[in-house]
Amino acid sequence: MKPDNPAAPLARRWREADGEHIDVRGLGAPAPLVAILQLVGSVGDGTVVLVHHDRDPLMLYPELAEIGWLAERIDAPAGEVRLRLLRTA
Amino acid sequence: MKTAAGAFLGGAASRLLPLSIPFRYFGAALVYHLLAWLALLAGAAEFSHFAGGLGWPLAALHLVTLGVLVMTAIGASLQLLPVATRQSLPSTFWPKLIWWLYTPGVAALTLGMGRGSPALLGAGGLAIALALLVYALLLARNLAPARGMPGVVAHGWAALGCLLALLATAASLVLSYLGLPLLDRATALALHISLAGYGFMGLLALGMSYILVPMFALSAAPEERRILLSCALAVLALALAALAAFGVAPLALRLLAIALGTGAVLLHLQLMRQALRGGMRRAHGADFVLIRVAWGALLASLGGALALVCAAPLDMLAQLFVLALVGGWLLSFLLGMLRRILPFLAAMHAARGSRRPPTASSLSAQRPLALHFACHLLALALLVLALLLDSTLLVRLAAVVGALGAGAFGLFFVLLLARLHGSGSARAAASRAAP
Repeated sequence: MKPDNPAAPLARRWREADGEHIDVRGLGAPAPLVAILQLVGSVGDGTVVLVHHDRDPLMLYPELAEIGWLAERIDAPAGEVRLRLLRTA
Repeated sequence: MKTAAGAFLGGAASRLLPLSIPFRYFGAALVYHLLAWLALLAGAAEFSHFAGGLGWPLAALHLVTLGVLVMTAIGASLQLLPVATRQSLPSTFWPKLIWWLYTPGVAALTLGMGRGSPALLGAGGLAIALALLVYALLLARNLAPARGMPGVVAHGWAALGCLLALLATAASLVLSYLGLPLLDRATALALHISLAGYGFMGLLALGMSYILVPMFALSAAPEERRILLSCALAVLALALAALAAFGVAPLALRLLAIALGTGAVLLHLQLMRQALRGGMRRAHGADFVLIRVAWGALLASLGGALALVCAAPLDMLAQLFVLALVGGWLLSFLLGMLRRILPFLAAMHAARGSRRPPTASSLSAQRPLALHFACHLLALALLVLALLLDSTLLVRLAAVVGALGAGAFGLFFVLLLARLHGSGSARAAASRAAP
């Protein structure tokens, strides 16, 4: 997707043993939603996605449900919301 | 481990109001939507030549503006702005109080207009003014400490300023029926129309679009600098139109206001087009057809305003202008958005505490939506024809078709609630049955 706002910060992505990580902290809405859904749409079956967020992404859950994914909250340092995203369908 | 949506942070949870709060506003808006078409049916004979004054055409107009547009705007902004600005509302008491003041207030005011009762009009107007003042305080309290989204926040502040000025003009118009006008009637009316259609409602609609359209299209947020420029042009246009209403160089300032307003709208539409074209989601469905029609009607209303200022020799021009502004732009836009927001919001709430929440699409009944889509557009087209041909029969036909569409939208809402309740019961039964 071509960014409309070239000055906007981008999400940080990396891979670890437990899955694909994406850090969307500090991004303004709806950039986190878009970045997470882009990653989810690009990973293979069975891949786990771990999201590092600075708030509970309320608008993400209906979008994930729509494409057959669900989110689980996992432990995180104070001030961070960390989610594990899994494909269900 | 907890399901994410069931484990909200304190702040996030309080930003998401209980579903009953926004849905009471949306439900009331859909009832008033139906009543608006029925009021038009009652006043069909006077509609084509309506030029102000009490009666069912005025009641129909305000059932749309206050009953549908402002009602929806309050419900949507109370729900969406706290999420966007990351500021929670102080409590659910205030949104409930606003609804309990505002909803019967609209009923009393519009009944007073329809039946020609200044007392009922005054009582309803007072209740509405109180409700909107409380709403203005809530909005200001939410916007003042807002972090991020400066373009949306700027639109919010500008809309708030317009709301306060709009209330003053509304008070003057209501008081004129009680023999106590605050402003000259022509001045109050000119201010009232521009501040309501392009000011409060228009700016809220443009501002909320910067949250909703990228969210539905799954695209990057538009550039803040250009959002702020569009907002500044719109505010300047409104200020010039207000000065013109007070008799300051009316022709020149009105022409300049229309030019600046058109610039603001074109910039907004360019940003919306980029969001839709650059998004991950390309198929936007009938909802966005309505929204595109609304954008076209917004431009048409500015063309109508120009023709009015230039005193173009066309009968029914003022009525066509109001139809483009209220029915074509604001009503089509809000109904298009509501068709998306209702299932999305319901799914968002259903996700709380649920491992497998229902999807927004599974909560949406498509047939009533399809019927509403066809009826809404047909009713608007029939009203345009009715005005051009000066036909009461066509106004009646438009009102019946519009009422059918409003009924279909109401059915969609009822089915949505039933499906939401059904999915909640099924999930509760499944969790009880689980070992």
